[in-house]
Amino acid sequence: MKLDIQDIRKSFGDKEILHGITFSVNSGRAMGFLGRNGAGKSTTIRCLMDVFRPDSGRFLLDGQPFKPRSLRIGYLPEERGMYQKNEVLEQLVYFARLRGATRKDAVRSANEWVDAFELGEFKKKKLETLSKGNQQKIQIAQSFLNDPDILILDEPFSGLDPVNAQIFKDAVQRFVSEGRLVIFSSHQMGYVEEICDDVTLIHHGDILLSGSLDAIKREEGRDKLFLSALEPADAWLPALLQAFPGMTAQRTEDGAILDTGGQPLQGALLAYLSGQPVTIRSFGLYEPSLTAIFIRKAGDEHAGL
Amino acid sequence: MRDFNIIFAYELKTQLGKKTTRVTTLILVLVVVLLTFLPRIIGLFDSGGPPKAPETAFEQAGYVFADDALRQSLTPLLGSVPEDAVYPDRAALADALKAKDVGVGFVFTDDLRFETLYLDRPPESQTEQQMAALLTEAKKMRLMNEKGVSAEDLALIEGTRAEGFSTVLGRDRLNNMMLAMALMVLVYMVVLLYGNGVSTTIAREKDSRTMEILITSTRPASLIIGKVAASGVAAVVQFGLVVLAGVIGYKLNQDTYPEMLRAMLSGSLTAEYLAVYLFFSITGYIMYLFLFAALGSTVSKMEDVGSATALVQFLFIFAYIISTFAMNLPDSAISVIGSIVPLTSVMVMPLRSAMSTVPIGQIILAGALMLLFVVFFAFLSIKIYRWGSLNYGNKTRLGRIVREALRHE
Repeated sequence: MKLDIQDIRKSFGDKEILHGITFSVNSGRAMGFLGRNGAGKSTTIRCLMDVFRPDSGRFLLDGQPFKPRSLRIGYLPEERGMYQKNEVLEQLVYFARLRGATRKDAVRSANEWVDAFELGEFKKKKLETLSKGNQQKIQIAQSFLNDPDILILDEPFSGLDPVNAQIFKDAVQRFVSEGRLVIFSSHQMGYVEEICDDVTLIHHGDILLSGSLDAIKREEGRDKLFLSALEPADAWLPALLQAFPGMTAQRTEDGAILDTGGQPLQGALLAYLSGQPVTIRSFGLYEPSLTAIFIRKAGDEHAGL
Repeated sequence: MRDFNIIFAYELKTQLGKKTTRVTTLILVLVVVLLTFLPRIIGLFDSGGPPKAPETAFEQAGYVFADDALRQSLTPLLGSVPEDAVYPDRAALADALKAKDVGVGFVFTDDLRFETLYLDRPPESQTEQQMAALLTEAKKMRLMNEKGVSAEDLALIEGTRAEGFSTVLGRDRLNNMMLAMALMVLVYMVVLLYGNGVSTTIAREKDSRTMEILITSTRPASLIIGKVAASGVAAVVQFGLVVLAGVIGYKLNQDTYPEMLRAMLSGSLTAEYLAVYLFFSITGYIMYLFLFAALGSTVSKMEDVGSATALVQFLFIFAYIISTFAMNLPDSAISVIGSIVPLTSVMVMPLRSAMSTVPIGQIILAGALMLLFVVFFAFLSIKIYRWGSLNYGNKTRLGRIVREALRHE
């Protein structure tokens, strides 16, 4: 399956929130949808789920119009909620049935996911009696009900402790390995790096980058080297930059990122450094973290790199 | 249709499964049963004997007679009058009353005129009437003796009665009033109780953010119609049990009811009236449920439900006021208009139908309008529900909500 989001525009009142965003999601590859608060992630997801109607643009699944209510979709909204005064299992069965499951399948699926999140003892409890964390797990469990072909999750890690985050990661990775289509938004870059094959970065309603995470990292690290030494950068960086005109640097906590401007300077740099009073801790090709890419691309005036 | 069935079953189970619903139903059933048994219970404490003799009421009485001749003529009527119960004048009798030596005082000025004195007059006191009846009867007997009329002749004269009977070709307003009023109050209770219930349910779904999961899983039309249908059936089940308890209680106890009450309860309500009542109350109830549902979806917080539904509650209370007016003047212009306009016809048409003969054309017109309004409000309710699922936060004026909801698609 391939989901194409094509030139989506959405305004609220006079303010345009999405400025014609375009990207694709492929099944079997988890897509992380990243962006700062208010960037347009949830609006995009709500448009995709037909909660909001976009002003223009279209969503296509394998070239056909995407109709969320006629597909098996697991959806976790950003603002989660379920019936507080109803029993856990009962309402999960209800949601599964609304998504097309038979009663038997709905009961089986609800039991399976409540057990998977280690909440079996709460099946007959009213949701309001569960702790906030357990309520969160139930809400995530509802998105996995009914064996969905497509998972659309808005900030799924929010509120999960590391153990439950691991359970959730395992579930998502299982879905991905089974060739399903998975897209989720998140601020937690560590989880995204662990799970996602692809990422899309949205900023102020525009897509800044989209594609394979590896390729993005390679692209973002192109022509850059990373140098870390025991001595502080102030002690060696100015002389280094003087020795290699045309090279620029960005300091980091434990060293510097050197932009060679496309020149093959790796060998020359090593030769130069070997004659300097510098104790090298690490030196090599720079591969930026997703956090670094995120901050650099979407950090605006607060960009640290 | 599949989704509607699922939503209907879930909502119905949720509503009927609530502890408050079960307890309320049980209390209402018990109250109704108790009411139907009330005449029988009262009968258990009634001795069933003849009315209390007048002399009982005159116990601890004090007397003042204008003169001895009057005392002589009245003493046989009053039974034994002890000497210390006779006072020389009104002031002495009043003092005795204040000192609580006597419970009541009579001051006789002639054989037909007297004054009754109380210290504190009990609300149920019949003393004065009993004394008046006693004196009247005694005077009558004296006059009969003087005129030579026998007691049998008097009985014959007084027993002469004209007899007549009535045939009501239209509606017996007197007999229908109580039942029609009771049925109207039933509709009033059901609409307000379940209307507010639907508003609250939807507002809670929005407040708890359940709505987004629901509208991405199924169509808003299935959701809103399923919820309204479940509320409708829950009301029928709950109040059906109450009515059933009332009917059974009545059947078990009807022999203990006064004839007039029996006539009023059984009434002369026809199948035609019942058809009108069922049609207008059920369709009107559904129409109001859609309105309550729509308004419930316009708020973001539970505490705003009351203010959001105030308008429709006011409309319904207005309908109730018109229907009480129609009870007395069923064919007035206000009653006729009120029975045709759907927002008020829910209660006014059944009441008019019970109290008067309503032209069939008016019933058909009102029925057609009611069906149109039900469909219109269902449509509007679905649109507003969909609008509500997208709008949180700031309060919006109802007119703007309707415009935006209709424009949304």
